[in-house]
Amino acid sequence: MGVEVPKIDFTKIEGRSKGYYVICLIWLIICVIGAYAYYLIWIHGDQLTGLNNQVPWGFGIAAVCYFIGASAGSLIVSALSGVFEKEEFKIFSRSAAFFAAAMIVAAMGAIFTDIGNPENSLNFLMHFNPTSIFSWNAFLYSSYFVVCVVYLLAQFEEKKFLTRCIAVFAVAWAVLVHSGTGGIIGFIYSNDFYHSPLTVPLFIISAIASGLGLLIPTYILTFKWTRREYDLDLFWTLTKIMGAMVIILLYCFIVEGFEKGYMPSSHEAFLRMIMSPETPVPYVYWFGQIGLMLLALAIMLSPYRKTEKGIFVASLLVAIAVFCERYTLVVPGLSYPYEIFPGYEVVKPFHIVPYFPTWEEWAIVLGLLAGVYLAYCIGIKIFAILPEKAVKVEEVSKNE
Amino acid sequence: MRGDNSMISRRRFLLLTMAGATAIATGKAFEFREDSRDDELSKYKWGMVIDVDKCTECVKSRGGFGARPPCIEECSKANNVPPDDKYYYDLIRIYEVREREDAEPLYFPVMCQECEHPGCVQVCLTKASYKRKDGIVVVDLHRCIGCRYCMIACPYNARRFLFEDPKEKLKVVNPEAPVRKHGVVMKCEFCVWKIDREREEGKEPKPVCVEACPYNALTFGNLKDPNSEVSKILRTSKVITLRANLGTNPKVKYKL
Repeated sequence: MGVEVPKIDFTKIEGRSKGYYVICLIWLIICVIGAYAYYLIWIHGDQLTGLNNQVPWGFGIAAVCYFIGASAGSLIVSALSGVFEKEEFKIFSRSAAFFAAAMIVAAMGAIFTDIGNPENSLNFLMHFNPTSIFSWNAFLYSSYFVVCVVYLLAQFEEKKFLTRCIAVFAVAWAVLVHSGTGGIIGFIYSNDFYHSPLTVPLFIISAIASGLGLLIPTYILTFKWTRREYDLDLFWTLTKIMGAMVIILLYCFIVEGFEKGYMPSSHEAFLRMIMSPETPVPYVYWFGQIGLMLLALAIMLSPYRKTEKGIFVASLLVAIAVFCERYTLVVPGLSYPYEIFPGYEVVKPFHIVPYFPTWEEWAIVLGLLAGVYLAYCIGIKIFAILPEKAVKVEEVSKNE
Repeated sequence: MRGDNSMISRRRFLLLTMAGATAIATGKAFEFREDSRDDELSKYKWGMVIDVDKCTECVKSRGGFGARPPCIEECSKANNVPPDDKYYYDLIRIYEVREREDAEPLYFPVMCQECEHPGCVQVCLTKASYKRKDGIVVVDLHRCIGCRYCMIACPYNARRFLFEDPKEKLKVVNPEAPVRKHGVVMKCEFCVWKIDREREEGKEPKPVCVEACPYNALTFGNLKDPNSEVSKILRTSKVITLRANLGTNPKVKYKL
């Protein structure tokens, strides 16, 4: 390279306007509603959720996967400059790392709010089970948070070599953490819908897609509302990366679908889960997961692709579609009963149990997401993590 | 620096040392007791054979699918399992199975299959689910965090999560069996509290369901003892194992 990269000025936002306080207040209110919903569950037990003894995992676990994914995705965006030498993305490196740290806290919050007996949650640390992937993850998630914070500190200290080293380590750690999360579901051999080696790499790809899907709209709004100059081309490059991830995801869904449909023992179950409207799964699958991804791709290929609105909407659609993907990964495999008596045609009870999340579950998940954004809003006010100008560095040097 | 004042007094130091030593010694003693108990338990490998024909006869005589035979009734009473129509907590679930639509039904009671390689133990975050030396898979209520990962991993759907406080719905409480609260997972443990007691008393241990069955359909015993009734049945009869392809090796077998 040899070209001296000009220094990027990272500044705090002023954060004294009415708009800033209104936004913070909105996030805070959603958080408080989420906290109240959790309080109700704490008091009355998990009967307030839509879960039951056949579908014991639902929205909460989908949210855990989603938050960890978004965290890993953000960290990879943050590391684009450090690891892959894409210097033009250095402007995002601090805020994306901050976002990643906030997201992993939300993920841990989602686990904490999902478990039935939080008083015992310290047992996580005291009794480690080496054969449990979730047990490994308890260690991986907390260490990942520390890695994010150290990485952020190294950036604040402007230690270039150290930052690069930690960035490489952090990306590797993010991939490991998210592979672990994929393994929680993919390694479960008792459930034909869950058991798939594809889940682990699929998680990484979804992670990058959802991380970008959340970051791009967040940045566009942040730069707009703080009146910072920004270059849409940078976002277009990120959107292209996201588009590539979406294409790989769709490809994986096709492979996965055909594989599930190929084996006579599971093809009826699979078709019924994605076709028959007895549960919300087909709607989430076709409209939420596949439909929104195709729509996002269509926008990315349309003449509006390089417009701010186009990029904004496409990213948001991908962010929602990935959540739907997490939902269809967790729920249908449980809704459809296990085949305990192979070879017998008729088995009773045979219940396809539909799972509908209750308002409490929605409130907790949205509350955690609002918590991430509240942390982001406060973070950009007290830490210098946003660039003064979000434009390509080469252009900055030319202007100077 | 406040000199001597900030130092720990000699007496306190001695007391603390002694307390520490006592704690370690008691800890060791407990550990030792645990070892000897493990040795005792490893003489056994509890298993069960279920005679499906007899079960079928029983359930049919009670009106077929949906009946609550004495095994379930007594199990729930003895193990403090609350009655509930919404969540169906009963630890034994009866399945009606037919070869084809017009065939005569068979009734299979399915409880925890007490696997040799239990998926639930494999995934438990906190080792709250563990396999004892005698092969029984148990849940330590004080360690369970209620994450329900074991329920996901169980191939037989044999675990139940308490969605509400069970105490409100229990008419009688058996103080010998675990009394649970909401937010933890429970399962059939072969009435471990009962068989441990009976073993120590020198009796032939039997879980509640085995005793309650009027048809004598359930046979329980030590698989390590070649002369036990279960071992004899397994030597001479044809039995099936549920979802055998997974390699979990259940110790509950079904005689057809």
